[in-house]
Amino acid sequence: MADLAEIKQMIEVALPGAVAEVADETGSGDHLQATVAAPQFEGLSRLDQHRLVKAAVKQRFDDGTIHALSLRTQVPG
Amino acid sequence: MADAELKQKVEELIGANPVLLFMKGTPDMPRCGFSMRVVQVLDSLDVEYGAIDVLPALQPLREVTAEISDWQTFPQLYVKGELLGGADIVEEMFDSGELAEALGVEQPEAVPVPAGDPPAQSPPLQIE
Repeated sequence: MADLAEIKQMIEVALPGAVAEVADETGSGDHLQATVAAPQFEGLSRLDQHRLVKAAVKQRFDDGTIHALSLRTQVPG
Repeated sequence: MADAELKQKVEELIGANPVLLFMKGTPDMPRCGFSMRVVQVLDSLDVEYGAIDVLPALQPLREVTAEISDWQTFPQLYVKGELLGGADIVEEMFDSGELAEALGVEQPEAVPVPAGDPPAQSPPLQIE
């Protein structure tokens, strides 16, 4: 069961200035959904934007807490 | 460290198939909701694509794609030898019309309807 606040914090710490919203997509606690706006995304492809976010929470994938993270990324307006 | 032989095979497949989907299950019987979403998008664009079921060799294939594309989750859609993305990116690109452009096909006018059987009198039950 993922701690949504922790996941949000991991993303925002790894990407200073980012704003992340994390939700439990299915109620199962391991399929999460996140919307992330980060200044670091500027000029990056969507793939690279997703890579940055996945890297930030890699530990929780590796330990099996999260099985899937559905992502929407954007550059802050 | 990925299996060198498997890695070579995967690279050959990616090179040989202009549109290639690594997915859990098969297009006829996806075994994961994310894979199903990509299949539905591709079917709605009416493109030909190769599909590889990763489930029989999930962990070795993760290691291979981590090395090839720095991406470890499935589905993965490759177009002309390049990783386009997983389900989220594919759907986002479909919605914006970028996917149709990348595939060189027409963007359908209407909301995507999964190809296959025409709708029966009552829609199938869906758990959302």
